[in-house]
Amino acid sequence: MTHQTHLFHMVNPSPWPIMGAMAAMMLTVGLVLWFHCNLNLILFLGLISTLLIMFQWWRDIVRESTYLGHHTPPVQKGLRYGMILFITSEVFFFLGFFWAFYHSSLAPTPELGGQWPPTGITTLDPFEVPLLNTAVLLASGVTVTWAHHSLMEANRASAIHALILTIILGLYFTALQAMEYYEAPFTIADSSYGSTFFVATGFHGLHVIIGSTFLMTCLYRQTMHHFTSNHHFGFEAAAWYWHFVDVVWLFLYISIYWWGS
Amino acid sequence: MYYKFSSFTQNLTGAVAAAAYNPQGLKPLVSTELPSSIFGTPTKVASESPAAVSYWGKNKVPELQKLFQKSDGVLVHLKQGVPDKLLYRTTMALALGGSIYCLIALYMASQPKNRK
Repeated sequence: MTHQTHLFHMVNPSPWPIMGAMAAMMLTVGLVLWFHCNLNLILFLGLISTLLIMFQWWRDIVRESTYLGHHTPPVQKGLRYGMILFITSEVFFFLGFFWAFYHSSLAPTPELGGQWPPTGITTLDPFEVPLLNTAVLLASGVTVTWAHHSLMEANRASAIHALILTIILGLYFTALQAMEYYEAPFTIADSSYGSTFFVATGFHGLHVIIGSTFLMTCLYRQTMHHFTSNHHFGFEAAAWYWHFVDVVWLFLYISIYWWGS
Repeated sequence: MYYKFSSFTQNLTGAVAAAAYNPQGLKPLVSTELPSSIFGTPTKVASESPAAVSYWGKNKVPELQKLFQKSDGVLVHLKQGVPDKLLYRTTMALALGGSIYCLIALYMASQPKNRK
């Protein structure tokens, strides 16, 4: 039997990258056909394929790490770099939307009535549901840290409880935001106020859903005994992502909800 | 006075005897010779674990490790056999079929005369 004499991971040939690219093509072409030709099928197929591929690709990573032991310290270091770089790219993504918001709000044009909020826009009260949302996400930051410390101390029950609480808080945030969206007195079409508001908070909400899904996967893996007290990078990556989502919300709250009202 | 290493402060802090005699991360292995418990919670084995937690499900990781480490030349994405193959084939069919439809749709969309 041949064994490698180094600590790096030589990945098995995998179909997921090329199929992921095909799914991305289906998503983009699907969007075009939906916008211009009123055809939903390709977009729908693209979404299904993307979900299937993401599931199987990440399932294989769990197999390679937990079952096959390929995630040695240097491999884990690479994964840490990767996650940090990915989150940094997401920071820049949000920076763009904040740029757009400040561009429109710092020098409001005559078309908006020369003021911000623009004439005719009734803003949301920052001290009602948005403040509750802030408290919810801050609390979830505490619970995810509690979960991490429980994990490191091999306290199985605590880790599971704290993770469940974190997920519940994340879902509560999403539900509150959905209700706010439904009840809002303005729409995305209401001048640059509406577009900056809904695009920035909308992408944030999508990231909350992604983060909650990541945490739910961690909860499943924790119940299946995948994590050990000193090797649980999947959980750490989820926690980093969750803290990032929390920080973005704080910036959104201060800039758009509070200063912008 | 007993001490343990606190991962929070990165220093020694006071602890109870149980924590000192069972350092974090070094829980003794629970005996794998559990009586077969197919329905729900496994029977509690006399273990030296300090925190008597209710385990949510038996730890199947060691047997899964054996399964996936079988040297039968099968790649990781197909290692579990039939369910893996089914899922892979469904996904490949969707991806290939969808991609071909995309190319056809793009070809048709680039022919302005056909759209009249």
